[in-house]
Amino acid sequence: MIRTLSTISVGLVALAAGCDRSSSPAEPTSIDAALRQDLARWGVIPIGPLPAQNSALVALGRTLMFDKILSGNRDISCATCHQPSEHAADGLSLAVGTGGTGLGQSRTLGPGRQFVPRNAPSLVNAGLGLFYLFWDGRISGFQSGPFTTPAGSALPPDLPNILAAQAMFPVVDRREMRGERGDRDVFGNPNELAQFGDSQFVEIWQAAMRRVLAIPEYVTMFNAAFPDMPTSRLGFQHAATAIAAFEMQPLTKTDSPFDRYLNRDDAGLTLEQKRGAVLFFGKARCSSCHNGPLLGGGQFANNGAPQLGPGRGAGAPLDFGHGDVVNNEIGRFTFRVAPLRNVELTAPYFHDGAYPTLAAVVRHYNDVPVALRGFDVSQLAPALRSLYHGDEATISAVLATLDFRLRQPLGLSNDEQRDVVAFLESLTDPSARDLRSLTPAAVPSGLPVQQ
Amino acid sequence: MTTSGVRAVCLSGLLAAWAETASAQLISIKTVPIAQGDQFEIFPSHNLAMGGVSIAVPDTLLDPFRNPAKGARLAAAPRFFGSPTFYGVSNGAGGGRTLPLAAVTQAGSWYGGLSLALQEVDPGRPPVGVAVPFVAQARASILPDVPDPGPDQGSHGNAYAFAMLGKVLAEPRLSLAGSVSWSRLTAVDGVDLLYPGSQALRQLGHAADFRVGMLKEWAGDRALEAVALHDRFGMTDDVTYLDSFWDPGTQRVLQRARVEHELDRTNTWGLHLQYERPLGASGWRVGWLATGNLMSHPKIPNYEIMNIPRDPGRSHAYNLGIGFSRTNGPATFGIDAIYEPIWSETWAEAVAPTETALGDTIPAGGKTVENHFRFSDAIFRMGISRALTVGSRAPAALLQLGLAARSIHYRLDQYDRVQVSGRNQVESWVEWTPTWGLSVRFPELELRYSGRVTKGTGRPGVGTRANGWALDASAVRAGSLLVAPSGPLTLDAVSVVTHQVSLSLPIR
Repeated sequence: MIRTLSTISVGLVALAAGCDRSSSPAEPTSIDAALRQDLARWGVIPIGPLPAQNSALVALGRTLMFDKILSGNRDISCATCHQPSEHAADGLSLAVGTGGTGLGQSRTLGPGRQFVPRNAPSLVNAGLGLFYLFWDGRISGFQSGPFTTPAGSALPPDLPNILAAQAMFPVVDRREMRGERGDRDVFGNPNELAQFGDSQFVEIWQAAMRRVLAIPEYVTMFNAAFPDMPTSRLGFQHAATAIAAFEMQPLTKTDSPFDRYLNRDDAGLTLEQKRGAVLFFGKARCSSCHNGPLLGGGQFANNGAPQLGPGRGAGAPLDFGHGDVVNNEIGRFTFRVAPLRNVELTAPYFHDGAYPTLAAVVRHYNDVPVALRGFDVSQLAPALRSLYHGDEATISAVLATLDFRLRQPLGLSNDEQRDVVAFLESLTDPSARDLRSLTPAAVPSGLPVQQ
Repeated sequence: MTTSGVRAVCLSGLLAAWAETASAQLISIKTVPIAQGDQFEIFPSHNLAMGGVSIAVPDTLLDPFRNPAKGARLAAAPRFFGSPTFYGVSNGAGGGRTLPLAAVTQAGSWYGGLSLALQEVDPGRPPVGVAVPFVAQARASILPDVPDPGPDQGSHGNAYAFAMLGKVLAEPRLSLAGSVSWSRLTAVDGVDLLYPGSQALRQLGHAADFRVGMLKEWAGDRALEAVALHDRFGMTDDVTYLDSFWDPGTQRVLQRARVEHELDRTNTWGLHLQYERPLGASGWRVGWLATGNLMSHPKIPNYEIMNIPRDPGRSHAYNLGIGFSRTNGPATFGIDAIYEPIWSETWAEAVAPTETALGDTIPAGGKTVENHFRFSDAIFRMGISRALTVGSRAPAALLQLGLAARSIHYRLDQYDRVQVSGRNQVESWVEWTPTWGLSVRFPELELRYSGRVTKGTGRPGVGTRANGWALDASAVRAGSLLVAPSGPLTLDAVSVVTHQVSLSLPIR
């Protein structure tokens, strides 16, 4: 009997067991859980505070940023292309450098001038510790240096951060600020900065600094910002350091809804934004490039952007981007993957400002080859339409090195594209929407600020 | 992330000294096959080595801890117990040591018992530190500036106290008794595994259990017992994380400490009835049991390993069981079959007004996610014992073998009021527990060894993959009662082995 019962009981157990385990697969049901897993997977973490900057240094940097005295023709300041009213950019596809007139989106080319080959990026959050600066990444390095720049060993060694290193270069660029040989400034005087050769970095910087220190008010401001530095030893690197300090303090904006979400506030994002974020880190594959704490900035990619503008370097009238810097065919048409904080405010988009809206950008990524071949020039400013390189040879060349992640369509529906845009809009710090208070009423040179 | 697995651990914590062998009174609920260390298997048991059969085979040693009225049987021969117990989870995923001491005695019609136990629980973390996911994702050249203290590898202690007092009221015997137990807990086994990425876990809490029991015995060896109980379990987990953040000033990923304060509360009311009687004169006995538990879960922790934010819940659980046994000379055979239907409901509450997919708003405190579980669990236990004689002496040794199987099957219906979506999920698995034991009886004492190993369960992050941590965080899910596992479950299979040596000697 006992044996019989034992057999029965073992049978019952086996029957109850059925099989070891059955499980129906299920997706994570909490969108927050899914999103936070994605954030961890892509290394998206909160951004800590920037080190506090010396107020005298910031004040000097602000003044220099808006003073046209740094340009060869005394007709353009840093802020001309990085307007507070345009969220520290200019709202143009391609920047208009020296010789131009007007500000922001109404700025126009001067007679005989060409567009700057690339879009002027917003300076908001430029101080967050990017490793590469400029669209082609020609300046790179960790904050402590050394920095790789076009100036090579001519770069002063005492630059405190990469942003200061970057600030050394707009003044040496002829189209941006320095001007062409033979130019005269707004007062009709010869442009002494334009007389130097393009590789005479030191001489250009010294000449620019002579201009600045000829103004007593600047001497006072420099002495306050650099109290341990004799006036005779002040160089343009100190001006660049001050400009960088200005960029790092009032132009750092990291209190977006997304930043609040990163700091564990699940209510920081709306449901639509969360859906968009899940797409961003998943189906839309955006995060394969736009990842890390800054959602980009750390690598280069050919995103199939339409070729537009006068071109630059060996590829002109095309723009090989980073490929020109590294002199590498594989790298042709690759540009720095833009960090995305406040991207909503920095239209138009891509290295040449080819697209006016985020919706257009997402549509481009949804099927890059189709978008490139069907690029609609009517979305460009009239002055730029003739500069679009839509010939088959150019398009084929761009697609030849198209990033492998973009070669297949994403298959995003219209609703999904809207969700992705909603997520991108969640990257906006509300305080970055209006930066006009940063514009000083006047600068020591007496040159106009608001023209 | 979901809590489930941990919840199971905590519920077993709630069972305290009654643990699985006392499941007749407190019904354990699990939603994932997470391994639970036998932390609370600390009291001596006659039937532990027989698969834990208990319906038709009296467990004279353990029964008083389940139903204090049954202490009357034990107190008839006052005695002292000690039952050092050791358990370990394979893969270095935990373990513990317990030394319980107990005494039961009688004075006239009154009887009583007292037990104290000290316990040390090892952390369940794998010896290799669990990487902070963020840092793991960072570029290799970016290292945290804050030294990683690594996971807390120290053991932590618990203390248990139990007291009972009862009276034999009438003959044929009617006993009434009450018991109270209290546990101070600083370590519930395995909970640390459920906060992956944390650097330290500080647990502090208590379990209190109050019981009133009745035992009515009639001539003919028939007995009816009833137990009413109230159990309160509360734990606080202070979990320290090192959060990574990007430091613009140094262009590096740095870390800062964050402490999460997690509460785990469950209150249970229960009623248990059990009846047993002989089946003729052939040595067969039959027993039935029925139990009902009502549980409220005013607070459920947000375990890091889980996927769904959640707050309170409530459950009602029942079991219906039948058992047979036969004693044939020196041999005893027993079998239990128990069916446990359980309904459980948990939900998450909005911390702030939350917009739904339909565009309306859930106010703060409103339900955002609802989980409805329907369990059909079953427990089968069988065991045999055979007395052995040595020479001409009376039976001096007892050999025991057994097997227990616990089948868990449930369906989850989940509704997300924010996304306005629903899903269902069916899960099932079986946990197997072979048992064995040997006792030796001397004229002045009895020495007993019982062992058991539970297979069919696992623990997260204790395997060899990626230093014990699944690289894909989404692959790690665990859950127990009250929260739904929300994705593919990845647990590393482990075995839980328990050894108990109990010593029993008469006081007088």
